[in-house]
Amino acid sequence: MPDSPLPVVAGIGLRAAHMAQVRAEHPPTGWLEVHSENFFVDGGPALAALDDIRRHYAVSLHGVGLSLGSADPLDKAHLGNLRGLIDRIEPSAVSEHLCWSHVDGRHLNDLLPLPFTEEALTLLCERIDAVQNALGRTIMVENISSYLRFSCDAMAEWEFVAALTQHAGCKLLFDVNNVYVNAVNHRFDPRRYLAAISGDSIGEIHLAGFDSSAGCLIDTHGTRVAPAVWDLYRESIERFGPKPTLIEWDTDIPALEVLLDEAAKAQRMLEACHAVAA
Amino acid sequence: MQSLRDLQRSFCAATLFGDPVALASLGIVGGRLDPKARIAVYRNNVLGNYRKAMAATYPVVQRLVGASFFAAAVDYFVRGYPSKRGDINRYGGEFALFLVSYRPARELVYLPDVARLEWAIDQAAIAADAPPFDLEALAAVPPSRQAALRFSLHPSLRIVSSPHPVFRIWRANQVDQCGEDRVDLGEGGDTLLVSRGNAGVSIERISAGERAFLAALADNATLAEAAGRAQEVEALFDLAATLRRHVAGQTIVAFRAP
Repeated sequence: MPDSPLPVVAGIGLRAAHMAQVRAEHPPTGWLEVHSENFFVDGGPALAALDDIRRHYAVSLHGVGLSLGSADPLDKAHLGNLRGLIDRIEPSAVSEHLCWSHVDGRHLNDLLPLPFTEEALTLLCERIDAVQNALGRTIMVENISSYLRFSCDAMAEWEFVAALTQHAGCKLLFDVNNVYVNAVNHRFDPRRYLAAISGDSIGEIHLAGFDSSAGCLIDTHGTRVAPAVWDLYRESIERFGPKPTLIEWDTDIPALEVLLDEAAKAQRMLEACHAVAA
Repeated sequence: MQSLRDLQRSFCAATLFGDPVALASLGIVGGRLDPKARIAVYRNNVLGNYRKAMAATYPVVQRLVGASFFAAAVDYFVRGYPSKRGDINRYGGEFALFLVSYRPARELVYLPDVARLEWAIDQAAIAADAPPFDLEALAAVPPSRQAALRFSLHPSLRIVSSPHPVFRIWRANQVDQCGEDRVDLGEGGDTLLVSRGNAGVSIERISAGERAFLAALADNATLAEAAGRAQEVEALFDLAATLRRHVAGQTIVAFRAP
């Protein structure tokens, strides 16, 4: 089932710490998302575990290293690895980030911020087109958290994201936590962001926790979703309609039950939203 | 206006190398925090990612030197040995090489070889799988033709040799501490075979003859040639027992007739 879309329910990000338990217990969660690069391997137990997971769940492949926004050429080897993994896993969705991470061949292996310029927008459109052609499918790109802005910005982040989804032919992976983090860090009203985005462009929503440090919010994925982010999530699905929603947790990973509990909360909000729509 | 490439170059120089000119050229804006503090958030994130990834690959090196010494070594390593992949899990293969000339660690003469062993373990875990050895097909080969067979090794196989007792050092520094507390550094070196079987990655000591034998097979030698090379370094090399053990243990996974 290569092209079956993600179910419009809540899912969780699956990390190595929970792999054995999920395989043994098959907890009731709508779908699972993994980081693509963790499975860029030739063989071994991690890949075998993902094969097994795929037999029981819809899986989304979420990339962190393709660096769509680099002035460097696209990393063909990376793209080849992704293509190989897609062929093997037949995921329901494939996503990446609106960021850059390598320059002059050096990878910084982090999600780094782009200036919101015409040059960056044009480059991203070209890159996303090339990636979608190489993979033979539509991808989603996620808005990231950031801790600075550049004086060369020609537009607001939401204008940049909206223009991209209009022109690049991709879907948006709308990270509500990242919108909130940026709204605090860069002092804007997150509702302006929501107002600029079209619900049809959104293929998936991410929720996660942040930490506060040195005067700004840091997107650590290391805590429960903050109350203000839940509020923004409810507003988002009321505005955009229900969307497949993921709970992400990457540092200080708690018991699986905590993630499932957060996903159940998202699921209740989705169902309330479905009920209103029906 | 600077190009996207120039901006990304400056960002890298400011983040990794603390270059003040690059930082100023970025045109970072925002209230409350100054540009230096904002780029420091990225420096902490980027270096933090590498420290975490390297600690996962090199837990024994980290234990031997302590967390803060290890973090400082990784920060220094990252600047001199750029990551070449978008997959951070595969970063750090040159750490042993780096440690050889890393002055703060020069008294720990065994440290680079411990790093070499840990990299071999890491690589063995993600190497390609291999189908089980076809014992029936081997049994069907007439004895007169066996000497000319060539054998394939499991893709996970790595051999690590050291003049230091790295296996004991490694075992004594496992979290579940399966080895002895004290290691006599003068007790001599190790030749280790790292491989992945059904139970995961394992490490075993092998003899000089066994090492020569496996290296010869990896080099596409015939069974007779490989046995000859083993006997050159180990007169009492037991070919039949060695072959049996590696076929049973799935370190030898296939054979080819001439």
